[in-house]
Amino acid sequence: MNPDTVTGAVWTVLFYVLGAAAILLALAVVNARRLLRAAIYLMGVLLMSAGLYVLLDAAFLAGVQVLVYVGGILVLIVFAVMLTRSADLLEDNPSLRRKVLGAVASIGFLVLTAAVFLTTPFKPLAEGTPPKDDALVIGRRLLDQGPGGYVLPFEIVSVLLLAAVIGGIVVARKTPPPEQPFTSGGDRAGEADLVLPKSQRPARRAKGNP
Amino acid sequence: MIDFLASHSPDIRHWLLLSAVLFSIGLYGLLTRRNAVAILMAVELMLNSAALNFVLFNRYLMPGMVDGQVMAIFVIAVAAAEVVVGMAIFVALFRYRATIDVNRMDTMKD
Amino acid sequence: MDQLGFALRNAWLVPALPFFSFGIVGLFIRPLSKKAAGIVGTLAIFASAVFATMVAWEYFHLYPPGAVHPTIVPWSFKWLAYQAGLTVNVGVLVDPISVLLMIVVTWASALIHLYSIGYMHGDEGYGRFFTYMNLFTFSMLGLVVAPNIVQMYVCWELVGVSSFLLIGFYYSRPSAVAAAKKAFIVTRFADLGFLIGILVLGFYGYQSFAELSPAIAAQWADKGVTNLQAFDFAYLTDPSVLERLAAPGSGILGMSLLTMSMLLVFMGAAGKSAMFPLHIWLPDAMEGPTPVSALIHAATMVVAGVYLVARLMPGFAASGDALLVVAYIGAFTCLFAAVIGITQDDIKRVLAFSTLSQIGYMMLALGVTTMSHPLGYTAGMFHLFTHAFFKALLFLAAGAVIHAVHSNEIWDMGGLRKKMPITHATFLVATLAIAGIFPLAGFFSKDEILAAALGNHFYLIFAVALLVAGMTAFYMFRIYFVTFWGAHRSPHAEHAREAPAVMWVPLTVLAALSVVAGFVPMAEFVSIGASVEHEGIDLAIAIPATLAALAGIGLAWFFYAGDPRRAERAVEVLGAVHRTVKRKFYIDEVYLFITHRIIIRYISRPVAWFDRHVVDGSVNLAAWLTSTLGAGLRPLQTGQVQTYGIFYVGGAMFVLLVLWAALAMK
Repeated sequence: MNPDTVTGAVWTVLFYVLGAAAILLALAVVNARRLLRAAIYLMGVLLMSAGLYVLLDAAFLAGVQVLVYVGGILVLIVFAVMLTRSADLLEDNPSLRRKVLGAVASIGFLVLTAAVFLTTPFKPLAEGTPPKDDALVIGRRLLDQGPGGYVLPFEIVSVLLLAAVIGGIVVARKTPPPEQPFTSGGDRAGEADLVLPKSQRPARRAKGNP
Repeated sequence: MIDFLASHSPDIRHWLLLSAVLFSIGLYGLLTRRNAVAILMAVELMLNSAALNFVLFNRYLMPGMVDGQVMAIFVIAVAAAEVVVGMAIFVALFRYRATIDVNRMDTMKD
Repeated sequence: MDQLGFALRNAWLVPALPFFSFGIVGLFIRPLSKKAAGIVGTLAIFASAVFATMVAWEYFHLYPPGAVHPTIVPWSFKWLAYQAGLTVNVGVLVDPISVLLMIVVTWASALIHLYSIGYMHGDEGYGRFFTYMNLFTFSMLGLVVAPNIVQMYVCWELVGVSSFLLIGFYYSRPSAVAAAKKAFIVTRFADLGFLIGILVLGFYGYQSFAELSPAIAAQWADKGVTNLQAFDFAYLTDPSVLERLAAPGSGILGMSLLTMSMLLVFMGAAGKSAMFPLHIWLPDAMEGPTPVSALIHAATMVVAGVYLVARLMPGFAASGDALLVVAYIGAFTCLFAAVIGITQDDIKRVLAFSTLSQIGYMMLALGVTTMSHPLGYTAGMFHLFTHAFFKALLFLAAGAVIHAVHSNEIWDMGGLRKKMPITHATFLVATLAIAGIFPLAGFFSKDEILAAALGNHFYLIFAVALLVAGMTAFYMFRIYFVTFWGAHRSPHAEHAREAPAVMWVPLTVLAALSVVAGFVPMAEFVSIGASVEHEGIDLAIAIPATLAALAGIGLAWFFYAGDPRRAERAVEVLGAVHRTVKRKFYIDEVYLFITHRIIIRYISRPVAWFDRHVVDGSVNLAAWLTSTLGAGLRPLQTGQVQTYGIFYVGGAMFVLLVLWAALAMK
């Protein structure tokens, strides 16, 4: 038995298993009515994706995926679920019309994209083998100042993250709590008057014009 | 059996199909879900599948380079930033409206 | 054309002076000073009158009486140039009848303006009155001097407008407003016929224009017609054109085009001159101030129809049928009005019916004309001339009486002979004139009409005219006796005083004219066709006419100058007949019935319904469609991001598809 053959076979099986799992979990994410469960399913999808990265010879990326995506982003999502009191509530079902339309749109998209790439011959653009020490190579590329280097996007991404952090703090900062929560759903003028402190209330607009 | 499996290793098109399916599922979730956080989860799904796309193209079209993986890293970083800001907005919105049901956020009509 | 004197070359001043006065008085002087408005307005008309006299003088010097009197057009300019041959010029046409009317209109208007300074004194709308009177004078003069039928029509309508404004002068009185409306609507309705006639003449005349106009233009070149147009009277009255139009069966109902168009034009003339059955507006038009009645409804506007027929006489003569219609309608109106006039009690109404009757005379005079024996033409114009003077005088004198007695009813007057001597004398002169007593003006003109009728063998018309002469004398002397003789029938009559000088001076001038006007040898001035032999007074006609008049006067004296019970008994005896006649044969009621029951109910209402529901409805439908469409599309704007997301995905896929297909096809 050829070790490469075995590897190839294992790779194939893993692909199909991980792929199927990812798809099923993704379907669960978009259909779960309890949001915490949806978050967990999402974690499952992300973990399956990490596995798929390993299959694609991107081991470092798989690690990054688990660390950042699962460990950071997903936790953040769980926090959001908690903070918006959506943990216990069962989400209302969207109307059938909406579901049908959404399904049509997404299936249509799928069909179209599949049609496009199934009929396109993909020829390799460059030869080579995947590097074994991909962490090193990736790191080097990220700090590479020459042409084909990614130092500029790297620096900009760090600025972006900083901006996102600051922005998040500013937007989510606590303003005095409302006396009674507004559940009317209509955005009538003056609602903000009761919610925001006097100094931040919007300027009075002409009477009768919402 | 093993030979059969080995000889039928997934091709670029299988991978592309997988990522397309994941993307479409995310799209469905985006268009259908009522809770804003659930929509964001669907968006994460889509971003994840985009990153997967980068990596698979890298592996099949230029295996010696790592550009695709670098792009995937950037995608992850941007996804993180986006989730931060999105969550902040939802929290603030919830405080203002006591709901984050997107069907109720319809003041753009008329 | 170079021998033209100053006045003829500047003949446009005759209508222009009142026009400028209208503008200046109306816009500038009236707001400042009422008195000045009156004076300036009057002076302008006097200036125009003097100028018109100069024009007449020069014209008849150039073409002495007794000789041929050609028509000349000393001044014109291009106004509406539609295309060569269909251009409307504005100009001044000078020929015997236009000169005649220019003199009549300007002098009558001038004297009446003078009278109005006194009569309208203290009235609220004093300035407005003179403005409108000037407008009217300008319009009438524009009509009289028109060298083409379109200018005449435009001024015709302007005259109608001025008349409307003046009849409804006391606009706070509903009866005045109604009368003004009635006059305008009736004449406007008649003008529809006129307009159609113009269109027919223009259209069919134009068809022969290219062929016939060079010859015609050559004839008229030395008479000032530099660019002949299809609308010019020069073209429309030319024998070659008339021959074309008179082709039998070219019009509808077997009439020739000429007859058809002449009848349509006569419809307009009948409206303006209040021929039966379009006479209904004239008695009601007495709601206007008395000077208005004098000027417009006696001397000038109502004779516009007669003038139109005279202007188109070659056309009417060439179409014998149209002329017969003119004659018989004129005769009928003459009789009809006289019968009604006998029974009326309002002095102005009697005078109105008298005017109707006299215009009937003029029309029938024109109607009995033939080109070989054209005495009727001259006679009609002569009667127009004399009638203007004594009728204006009658109205003005009546105005003075009404002023004094504060009432229009003759039964509120009486015994004014001693209280208002000048008015009495002038009124008597006018009444004798209208009755046709020698040697006053009416005698001569009426005689000529009778002679014309007899000479062309219209025996029935002659008999009717003779009868009406007697009736005229009767009803005129009826009001004379009731007003000026007998006891004072009301307190006002007892305290009546003579009119102020500014009012009785015009009366005396007009009285003088009524005396001498008859001696003008009209045939020397105004004639058409073959020359008219004027042997002086034909006794075979003069004697029956005078006898008829004397009989009328005698009858009136019998009933009204003595015991009033004679008249009352006569009225009782006639009973219902008298009532019917007094109610003007219920013609007004018939018109009202037709308009209200038939026209309004069956025509106006459906049309109004159509307008409201179909015309407005289609506009509303367009609006409704738009709003419904909008409302239908509004649900697309749900405000929900996901909806927009679906649209977005759909759109993106569509674009993708298109791009892919394009790529695949390449």
